[in-house]
Amino acid sequence: MTTISAASPPIGRTVKKWLLPAVPFAILVALWGLAVLLFDPPVGVLPSPALVFEAPFNSDPYLANVGASVQRLILGFLVAASTGVVVGVAAGLSKPIAEFLGPLTTFMNALSGIAWIPLAVAWFGPGTGMVVFIVWNAAFFLVFGNTMLGVRLVPDVLQNGLLTLGASRMDVIRQVIVPGAMPYIMSGLRSGLGFGWRAVIAAELVGASLGLGAWIFEQQEFSRMDNIMAGALTIGVIGMVMDRWLLAPLERRTIERWGMVGSAS
Amino acid sequence: MVKPASTTTATGKDLGAVRAAQSESPGLFGVAGLSSVIRALLPFVVAILAWWAIWAVLDPPEIILVSPASVFGSFIDSIAEGALPTFIARSLARLGIGTLIAIGLGVPMGWLLGLDEDVAQAAEPIMRFFNAVSGIAWLPAMIIWFGFTETTIQAVIVYTMLFPVAFNAMIGVRTIPKRYRDACRTMGAGTLRIIRDVYMPGSFPSVMTGLRLGIGFGWRALIAGEFVVGTTAGGGLGFFIFDARTQGVIGKVMAGMIVLGVLWLLMDRLILRPIEETINVKWGAVSA
Amino acid sequence: MTVPTGGAAQAAPPTISVEGLSHSFTDPQTRKTVHALDDVNLEILPGDFVTVVGPSGCGKTTLLNILAGFIRPSAGKAFVNGRAIERPGADRGVVFQELAILPWRTVYRNIAHGLEIQGVAKPEIDERVNRMTSLVGLEGFEGHYPHQLSGGMRQRVAVARTWVSDPEIILMDEPFAAVDAMTRLTLQEELNDLTVRTGKTVFFITHSVEEAVFLGDRVMALSARPGRIKEEVHVPVPRAERSWERMSHDEALQDTVEHVLSLVRGEAVEPTGQDG
Ligand SMILES: Nc1ncnc2c1ncn2[C@@H]1O[C@H](COP(=O)(O)OP(=O)(O)OP(=O)(O)O)[C@@H](O)[C@H]1O
Ligand SMILES: [Mg+2]
Repeated sequence: MTTISAASPPIGRTVKKWLLPAVPFAILVALWGLAVLLFDPPVGVLPSPALVFEAPFNSDPYLANVGASVQRLILGFLVAASTGVVVGVAAGLSKPIAEFLGPLTTFMNALSGIAWIPLAVAWFGPGTGMVVFIVWNAAFFLVFGNTMLGVRLVPDVLQNGLLTLGASRMDVIRQVIVPGAMPYIMSGLRSGLGFGWRAVIAAELVGASLGLGAWIFEQQEFSRMDNIMAGALTIGVIGMVMDRWLLAPLERRTIERWGMVGSAS
Repeated sequence: MVKPASTTTATGKDLGAVRAAQSESPGLFGVAGLSSVIRALLPFVVAILAWWAIWAVLDPPEIILVSPASVFGSFIDSIAEGALPTFIARSLARLGIGTLIAIGLGVPMGWLLGLDEDVAQAAEPIMRFFNAVSGIAWLPAMIIWFGFTETTIQAVIVYTMLFPVAFNAMIGVRTIPKRYRDACRTMGAGTLRIIRDVYMPGSFPSVMTGLRLGIGFGWRALIAGEFVVGTTAGGGLGFFIFDARTQGVIGKVMAGMIVLGVLWLLMDRLILRPIEETINVKWGAVSA
Repeated sequence: MTVPTGGAAQAAPPTISVEGLSHSFTDPQTRKTVHALDDVNLEILPGDFVTVVGPSGCGKTTLLNILAGFIRPSAGKAFVNGRAIERPGADRGVVFQELAILPWRTVYRNIAHGLEIQGVAKPEIDERVNRMTSLVGLEGFEGHYPHQLSGGMRQRVAVARTWVSDPEIILMDEPFAAVDAMTRLTLQEELNDLTVRTGKTVFFITHSVEEAVFLGDRVMALSARPGRIKEEVHVPVPRAERSWERMSHDEALQDTVEHVLSLVRGEAVEPTGQDG
């Protein structure tokens, strides 16, 4: 009745897990290839998939541009993450300060990143400094706001519990407040990185001569659609890899480890 | 036992994480009387005073920083010229059209994809990917396809908003407890009925999350698009700011930025949040 | 395959019959097989109130899911009125273990939902829902949303929603488990009244032996997993005459409780090892 020939399901499952998501991509590339074959559009309008996938290898500045963008992102993001968390924890510790800064943070969040590009160009001139500032700007308020919120939401009971055990203020911060706020901090970091990456591209589009954003914009003047699409897809791949393989697992780990998240949602 | 459900909740969060920081802060235009209005405005007053002080002390050149008074002056001038109101209207119209299309296309798309477990699993990565490519990255390609035109801007916004909306609609359907569906089946409900009575209302909170996120991304894509294409595509707030910088009028740049921030707050307080709150009050915290 | 016996040779054909039912789940991840039900045989006659007790994880909900038509058994057959069960149907109303009334519908619209689905005319829906709300004591709460109700009231909505469509059979999975003890007593008496009055065929799962004896014509005691029917116990006093008052005095009822308890107690809840 109960057959024990249970060897196949897990293999089938793994295959399915990897194959299933590949199907839409495969269909899309096939359709794209087919469209190019059938309608034979000018290369400047829609190059074949092969041309686009080859573009990175045929174009010398590709790697330099990718490197420049990623570097700026990492730099700006690291500064935003550290300043955002430290300032956020400090501000969150005091209810009046947090309440005072709340509306300002919401406001700054609303126009963070891309809207600052013209002002940043005026301040720093085009180039790396400006882009890094924009990344910082795009990520900082998210990290800061989430950290402050997370700290505020750590129940007082927990802190008091530790204080009655004779812990110092610093102990409380390290052992209760930061871990308690961790899920919020992580989600702030994660969305900060997402917005930061978009901001890098936008900033480079209008205010840099190196970087993926600058490169694809420049390629547009030469109608090099293969390079443009290669660049755009690279932007997607980098954004997705960072999010899925770096921050999402980190976030999941903190949530699993520190428990509840999203009581605010 | 039902592990997949909790995983999807976690993944549902990732495109919806920004909410926390954006939707906190005690009501800026809350109802609770004068004192709360003052308390809400106080931070802004203090920030403006601080800005003024910094400006007075550093005495920076005009192309770096100007005083709040001069920003206000630029604001009044731009209103009087008529450029600012036109541009505001234009940007809002673009965002509005983008929102409508994203909802009209993205929500049904997400619902359909969410109906079947396998389809949803297959669709998730590609939707994440296209969301990650971001409308801004497509801007040069759009320019080649559509020129420096309104179409380009609109296409970028629609693209940007579509994926967060569709993705969250899909996640919304998938995270509705299965027992709601089962209960309706025992009452004789068919698939269409279940879609109407369970999936549509049940995924609503998640759709709102997606919309909020989509507007956040779309708003930025709009500004970037107007920076680049605005000159020939009839302006817009992004163009206003960008152009002011080119002219070297920092007062106008900052006035434009403040208008952007205020517009967002108004949109949040007057449209998005009331909808979310009504739903929350009526249904309780629906999404498990 | 099995056609209902045409003639009136048999007195009353069973409303539900279950033959040699077994069910196993295979966990796709660990590829372990959980044997949930083993060779269950059961007949429920029209108007019967059958209660099922058994240790946690012994397969009670699985059995109910098979009767409801949500899962196909690995072996054996289940019939409703002689027809093999293939899918959920409006002839079998289900009150779920976990509350399944819709949070986005008001009390009224939750109760009316089944009737709406069946396309009953508005005035009739109105009339039936109103009768039902007063029957379960929810008058005045028609416009409330579930989150505005107490746990006991939500359970009433769940029961009312199932009852109002007047299904032939009602399957209930620990409907009162999440309700406080006082409210539970009231709900049990109300349910007893309701079933006696409407003469419904009920299949009722519970953890509580007292509840099982109080409500049922018969109590099925299931063994620990894989669940099989250990013994079928007849409850002596007619349902129409039962009350908690009487339960506490009546020796026959007390003895039945003791007996069922001894059956269940023999089935110490073995650690399932995969409850994480
Ligand atoms: N969909 C499923 N997949 C795998 N195993 C399952 C599934 N549903 C139930 N099981 C397993 O089958 C066994 C019986 O489950 P069931 O829900 O029927 O128990 P139950 O008697 O209703 O328990 P309780 O009293 O706790 O509600 C359990 O060990 C459970 O883990
Ligand atoms: Mg159960």
